[in-house]
Formats: sequence, C-alpha cells, structure tokens
Amino acid sequence: MKRILITLFMAVSLVSCNKNQSKQETDEGNIIIEINHTVDGKQLETDQMIYTNAAGNKYLVSEIQWMISDLKLHRADGSTILIGKEGDIFYIDSDIPESMQLDLGFGVKSGDYTGLSFTFGMNELQNKSLRFVNPPESFMFWPDYLGGGYHYMKLNGKWINTDDVAQPFNFHLGIGQVYDTLAPKSSYVSRSACCTSAHCEGYTPPEKTMPIIGFIQNYFDVRFEDTSFSVHASKSTKLQLEMKIENWFKNPNIYDHNIWGGSIMQQQKAMKKACENGIDVFRLTVK
Amino acid sequence: MIKNLSLFFLLLIILVILSCEKNSKEEPVYKPTPYTFDIPFAFPTKMNIPVNNPMTVEGVELGRFLFYDGRLSGRTHPDSLMSCGTCHIQANSFEAGSNHPVFEGGFVHGLTGIQTQHVMLPLINLVWNQSGYGWNGFLFNDNPNTNFRNLEDFVRIAVLAEDEIGGDTTKVKQLFQSIDGYPELFFKSFGSSSITFKNIEKAIAQFVRSLVSANAKFDRFLKGEEQLSSSELNGFVLFTTEEGADCFHCHGGGGNPLFTTHLFYNNGKDTVFTDLLDRFSITGNITDKGAYKAPTLRNIELTGPYMHDGRFSSLDEVIDFYSHHVKWSEQINPLMHHVLRGGVQLTSTQKEDLKAFIRTLHDEGFLTNPAYSRPDKFPDEQ
Ligand code: HEC
Ligand code: HEC
Repeated sequence: MKRILITLFMAVSLVSCNKNQSKQETDEGNIIIEINHTVDGKQLETDQMIYTNAAGNKYLVSEIQWMISDLKLHRADGSTILIGKEGDIFYIDSDIPESMQLDLGFGVKSGDYTGLSFTFGMNELQNKSLRFVNPPESFMFWPDYLGGGYHYMKLNGKWINTDDVAQPFNFHLGIGQVYDTLAPKSSYVSRSACCTSAHCEGYTPPEKTMPIIGFIQNYFDVRFEDTSFSVHASKSTKLQLEMKIENWFKNPNIYDHNIWGGSIMQQQKAMKKACENGIDVFRLTVK
Repeated sequence: MIKNLSLFFLLLIILVILSCEKNSKEEPVYKPTPYTFDIPFAFPTKMNIPVNNPMTVEGVELGRFLFYDGRLSGRTHPDSLMSCGTCHIQANSFEAGSNHPVFEGGFVHGLTGIQTQHVMLPLINLVWNQSGYGWNGFLFNDNPNTNFRNLEDFVRIAVLAEDEIGGDTTKVKQLFQSIDGYPELFFKSFGSSSITFKNIEKAIAQFVRSLVSANAKFDRFLKGEEQLSSSELNGFVLFTTEEGADCFHCHGGGGNPLFTTHLFYNNGKDTVFTDLLDRFSITGNITDKGAYKAPTLRNIELTGPYMHDGRFSSLDEVIDFYSHHVKWSEQINPLMHHVLRGGVQLTSTQKEDLKAFIRTLHDEGFLTNPAYSRPDKFPDEQ
C-alpha cells in the first residue's frame, strides 16, 4: 500500500514538475480566429430571401462550406510562419458551429505580427483525391472526372430568377476544366441528346458537356498585409475573419445568377469570375 | 513479532491465491477479445462506437445469435417468434426485399400486423454513420435525450415497437436467461451471466456495427484492381457531374465510397409535406420539411421499394423521377438545382449507363458473408 502511495506521489509530482517547466520555458501563445459570414455588413441569416446582389438578383443562402490551407503569420521583417505543418487545412461549415472557430493551438511564437495569409482552397500539390477520408471534409470531394481533389467552397442558396421563381444555385468552386470545343457532338458526355426531349427543344448542348482535355487550378491567395496584432506567451489572441458574401458577386465582376444558372462546377468561365471576385471577400480584424 | 507478522502475511497470500484458483475453476474467465476493424480502402477512419460498448469478438458473436433468434420477441410459440433477422435479411442487404413471401412488396409489419410507418433501411456500413440513424435521424450521438442516441437504442425501440417486434424487455431478458448457453455467452461478452436488457442491446449493436460492405466492383475499380465497362464508366461520369445525373453531392462517389453523406435533404418528390416523421419533426427547422436521409446506394437494386414511403418499386422509376419528375417547393434542397427543368433530363441510354454504374455497387461478398448470416444452430442447440 505504502509503495503504491509513494509511486503515486512520485508520478503526481513528476507530472506537475513537467507542467511547471514547460510553463516557465514557453514563449508561445495561441491564436483563435473567429469566422463570421456576413451579407451587407450584417450576420448571415440563412434561408431568408432578404438579400440582393450587385446584379440585382434577390437571393438567400442556405449553407456555406469551405476550406483554407497554408495559413501563415507575417512579421515586419518579411518572414512568415506556417501554422501547423505543410498541407494542413481548415474546414469551415455554417452548419457546424465548432468549425467557425479556428483554434490554432498553443504553439505560436509570441511577438508582434503584421499580417496573415492563406490559400483559399488548396494548391495543386495538396489538392489530391482521397486526402480526406473522414467527414465532413470527405463530403467536399471534387469528382476526379472534373479534376479531382476537393471543393474549395460550396455556397448553396436560391435566387429569384427572371420567371420570379426561387431557383437553387450551387456556387461551387474547385478545379476547372478545359473543354474540347472542336469535338464531335457524338462524343459529348451528358445531355447530348437533350435536344430530342420535349423539355429542351432546339437546345444546343453547352460547352460544359464537351470532352475535357485539361484542368485549371482556381485556388487563390488571400493576404492581409497590415493588420497588426501581438501574441503573448500563454495567452490567446483573438482575430476575426469575415467572409463578405455579397462580394463574391460584385467586384471586379458583376455575377448574375440568371447568366450562369444553378451549377458552375463545369463552367470555368463562371468559376474564374467568382475567384477573381474573391479578392475582397475576406476581412481580418483584431478583436 | 516480526516473525509472526510475516507468517501471517504468508498465510494471507496463500489464502488469496487459493480463493482465486477456486473461483477460476468454477466460472470461465472473463477475457473478451477486442474486435478489430480493417478500415477498407478510402473509408473513414473515424467510427461511431460508443465508449461504453467497445466491440469484442465475443460480443459480436452473441449479437449475431440474438439478431437472428426469434425468441427476441420474448415468446416461444412458433407463431410469435420475431427477431431483427425476420425483416433485415442478409441476401437483400438486410432489408426484406420486394420479393418477400410474407411482407408483400417489401412493406414490413410487426407481429401484430401493424405496418411500419416508413419502409426499411439497409444495415450496411452503419458504423460510419455519424449524423443519425433512422430515415429522419431520430437517433444521434449528442441527443439531449440519452435514450435516443445510437444503435443500442434501436434494439430497444425495435423490440418494443408495436409495428416491429412488440415485445417486453423484462420478458425478453428473462427468456434468454432461461435458455441454455446464453448466460455463458453473456458472461464471455460482458463479464456477467445474469442477463440485462442493456447487454442485449449492446451485443446486437456490436453485430450490426460489424456489417461492412467494401468489396463491390466499384471498390475494386477504385483500388485499381478491376476496370469498369464503358457503359459503367459513362454512368460513373454521369453520377459525378452536375451536368450529368448529379447524384454525388448527396450520395457520394469516388471520394466518399459510403455512397451516402447520411445527411438529410428534401429531394423534390412532393409539393405538400404531411408526414409527421420527416426531418422537420426532429429539428423543428422549417427547411427540413419533407427531408429524409439520403440512403446509401450500395446494393440498392436489392432494397426496394424506394424512398421513405416506398413510392417507387424499381430503380428505373427512381431514375425516371430524378430525370423528369422533380417538383419545386419552397423546401426543396438547393442541391436539386435541376428542379425547374423537372430534373436532370437523362436520355434512355444515359439512364441505362447510370443504372449500370449503380450496379457496380453490388457487393456479393457482403450478401453471402458467413460471419453475417443466420447461425446454423442457436446456443441451446449446440
Ligand atoms: C418489422 C420489421 C423490422 C424488425 C423486426 C426490425 N426492423 Fe429494423 N427497421 C425496420 C424499418 C421499417 C426501419 C426504418 C425505420 C425508420 O422509419 O427509420 C428499420 C431501421 C433500422 C435501423 C436504421 C438503419 C439506418 O440506416 O439508420 C437499424 C439500425 C435497425 N433497423 C436495426 C434493427 C434491429 C437491431 C432489430 C432487432 C432488434 C430490428 N431492426 C428489427 C424494420 C424492422
Ligand atoms: C439533394 C440530395 C440528393 C440528390 C442530388 C440525389 N438524391 Fe437520391 N435521395 C436523396 C434523399 C434525401 C433520398 C431519400 C428521400 C426519401 O426517402 O423521401 C434519396 C433516395 C434515393 C434512392 C432510394 C433509396 C432507398 O433506399 O429507398 C435512390 C435509389 C436514389 N436516391 C438515387 C439517386 C440518384 C441515382 C441520384 C442522381 C440522379 C440521386 N439519388 C440524387 C437525396 C438526393
């Protein structure tokens, strides 16, 4: 009994020693990034047909799921620190409250920082199929036929179309495709015979149904160069990353759902415009 | 004094050893073997196994007996036997199947004759379901009501439900206590030969979690071991493209070989929603009216009738629905973005290709795996 007690005592004191030591030595702090989805400066209200985009489309948003990678902190001397390890990603989902807080963990060197950057989506080295086998990330898979890897983002909602009906839109971004516009119609993959159906008389199959001969990376970098913040040893610094949803449809390209329709995974022209608009979608603030 | 003391200790130790030996001679030792999963290629590594019910070889074996033993009804008269296996039949991917001799068209009913409110769901790869069991997901891990959380609870519900086994948990556990062989199996699985209904739940849940399908033609294709025919390949492309059949966002594909997200969607079958057991009944969220779980498409050709209410009797009808008969409503899920054209507008060739692809999800090994099948003999018959 006594021996057990002694062993226990030793174990306890060892553990507590360890803790003390690391506390004394550490000069590392934590960063917590709160994600905020907003429309026109206000917190997103899902499934409410209360928004109007720059093209004049009335719309609602049901859910947003997206991934960022290569999250880096910037210093005044121009150096950067990668958070986590190469290839780490952060998954954000408006349906999963825990995913709306990115806890970077105690491991960030304390000191002053001048900014932060990340990749929206993943670069070609990282965006490989079957990287993620567990949900929810695995549910983001981007079909191999369309380039593989993962959706950078799924933004699902509805807009009031020209017939005054709430039509679903899937604003999905990921790897784009190059289509073979010279291929014979017989080689078209889908909808090729749609012209024969009563629903789409006189219908010419669009580019998106032609054979694919190449892929285009659509990921882009987001940088906040002069947002200064400090990290203090053993403390958490809070930042807020806002996604201004209306800006996906605004600048420099006015994005009209009536032009691009409900689905864009096979419309590189639409995805390109969307990704260009990504330039001022994000805002970083120090809390 | 010291001498005496050590003598005393020596005696004590001998006594303890003796009594230990005596015990071990009287009862078998409780030393269950952990059940190990080989995670299939591309499958999730995270599984839904509650910490208070770790899987063991013994537990799964016991669960298999109970799953198939008609005395799970708590009765022994030949007319009042019913078990999980009465409705959940292996050869039909653990559904009754539309060809069932008693359950006409695959619509099942309980011992009392009352039909179930919804048609069946298959028992396949459920250990990877993290979002909720049942058509509307009424059992989920973080349910504040701790009686409605996981597969263990499904056992109790199925045993009690009037439209299923319609039993009485006390009678059930007493009956199994009196059947030769079972108390011993319970001891081996849970360390106690006095049978509790909780342990019945645990054993059956373990068996259900062990049912894994991961060796369909498509799985072998994904691993690069087998080629798909050109029709199957076309079907695969259709399945995973928005401009094709557009099934993958809800039913998975290469990157999600479960062929389901286990999530809930309104897929546009109706314009008015009157079923009181839809997803809305669980979340109270108005957009969940008419929403149900998107079931896995593995072995789907065996698990008709289709949709929660069994409105379609064949895969062809299902594909026709997604092609031409999708209906707009305020609640339709945005992923059904073809709705205003009535659906994805597949041609007859494309429909055949899509069906050919879906059939590559047929897993014969799952349907005949002896580890999942009805035991030849129950414990009291051995
Ligand atoms: C009378 C036929 C019948 C019997 C007997 C029966 N079930 Fe079922 N089972 C069903 C039906 C119908 C459903 C669909 C329930 C719903 O509405 O969600 C179902 C669904 C399930 C599900 C949910 C699957 C999923 O994907 O969410 C599980 C698990 C299950 N049953 C296990 C069992 C077990 C274990 C037993 C024995 C204790 C059992 N069932 C007995 C008819 C039956
Ligand atoms: C928006 C998500 C969504 C999409 C897209 C979708 N489904 Fe479904 N699917 C569901 C849901 C939800 C159900 C169950 C609905 C119900 O029971 O009322 C279902 C049911 C089914 C069933 C019947 C399953 C059963 O066990 O009864 C089949 C088969 C099926 N879908 C095939 C397909 C095919 C093929 C496609 C592509 C053409 C497709 N689905 C597209 C959500 C979807």
